[in-house]
Amino acid sequence: MRAFSYDGGLSIRSDIPTAHRAVWQQLAGPGTWWTGAERVAIADEVRRARDCSLCAERKQALSPASLEGEHDHRGQLPEAVVEAVHRLATDASRLTKTWLEKLSASGVPDGHYVELLGIVVGIVSIDEFHRALGLPLESLPAPEPGEPTQYRPDGLREGIAWVPMLVPAETGEAERDLFPGGRTANVVRAMSLVPDAVRMLQRLSSAHYLPLELVPSPGNSGGRALDRLQIELIAGRVSALNECFY
Amino acid sequence: MLLRVSGQVQGRTVDAGAVTTGESVGSGVRAGSELIAFAEAAVRDSDELPVARSGVAKALGEEALVDAAAIIGNFQRMVRIADGTGIPLDPPMAILSAGLRSELGIDAYGSAKNTPPTGMLNRLLGRILQPFLASFMKRFRPPTARISEPPSAT
Repeated sequence: MRAFSYDGGLSIRSDIPTAHRAVWQQLAGPGTWWTGAERVAIADEVRRARDCSLCAERKQALSPASLEGEHDHRGQLPEAVVEAVHRLATDASRLTKTWLEKLSASGVPDGHYVELLGIVVGIVSIDEFHRALGLPLESLPAPEPGEPTQYRPDGLREGIAWVPMLVPAETGEAERDLFPGGRTANVVRAMSLVPDAVRMLQRLSSAHYLPLELVPSPGNSGGRALDRLQIELIAGRVSALNECFY
Repeated sequence: MLLRVSGQVQGRTVDAGAVTTGESVGSGVRAGSELIAFAEAAVRDSDELPVARSGVAKALGEEALVDAAAIIGNFQRMVRIADGTGIPLDPPMAILSAGLRSELGIDAYGSAKNTPPTGMLNRLLGRILQPFLASFMKRFRPPTARISEPPSAT
């Protein structure tokens, strides 16, 4: 059966399953720093994090760092990778630069981390869409063979965020599509160390929220069934529940 | 921030405090209570989710329910990107939103530490510039901006 067929009765805009299928296709293949098998294993670990006892205990703790222990995991990925996936999935608002530096020292360099983050957020958002509508989760794709490209774009700048990011106005030809018009917000630049992660983000955002070019037009709802005030109310409430400052 | 600016642009009064308190959003947002209940139930993965889902479908229809679920999914993603990379607020936005952040208690969130504190002078500047927020937002708009038509349903 075709992935994301949504034939259970709900009428779903066609760009949503199209975007979801594109994410699944990208997920299965080799990425920039991870193989297809590793990428699918990361996605699988995102789903396991919801039922992880250590994550649940840490979520209740005043400081997540105060609790040592082992995550409930499948054993397919190194411990540091599991830690990254579980924390990003379940307790992202309390992450710190020190945590990321420790992760890097444990064998998850910045490029691997940013690609992993892209996978985590892709799975979280698609799964949350399904849960919100009471739909079953889509089975993960079978991994495809191949080697990661290890592509690192030119012009990365350190010091703005915890990871290096591209500067839109100085971006080279290969990454020019990431920042139409040569300007954008930090949240769009955040994963630009792995350009394909930004492309995936933009595709999903365009279907789930609004095409990038419409975001700064506060009266425009892009033809959605919700008006812009309703859209921003949900966006704001979800961000606040996650205690997201940005 | 975008909620308040959208209200300004549309000439509607919206209680932006609803995003942090989850309480009444006033008359500015149609079916605002149902949408907030749906967002909360989804994010908290609560047993209220089926009821909240029906509430949105009944108030606004099935297409709106799907759009609402998609936005929930979208922002579950965006918050993790921001918090997972430690990005600061874009400087102009930090200035313009200083008053609102303080009003809503957002400065107390843990990830606020990723953005340098807004000084007194910039807070004042932000207050003066508040009426021009919508124009400011357009600075981030690429030159190819267009009005999208909704894609067809599957």
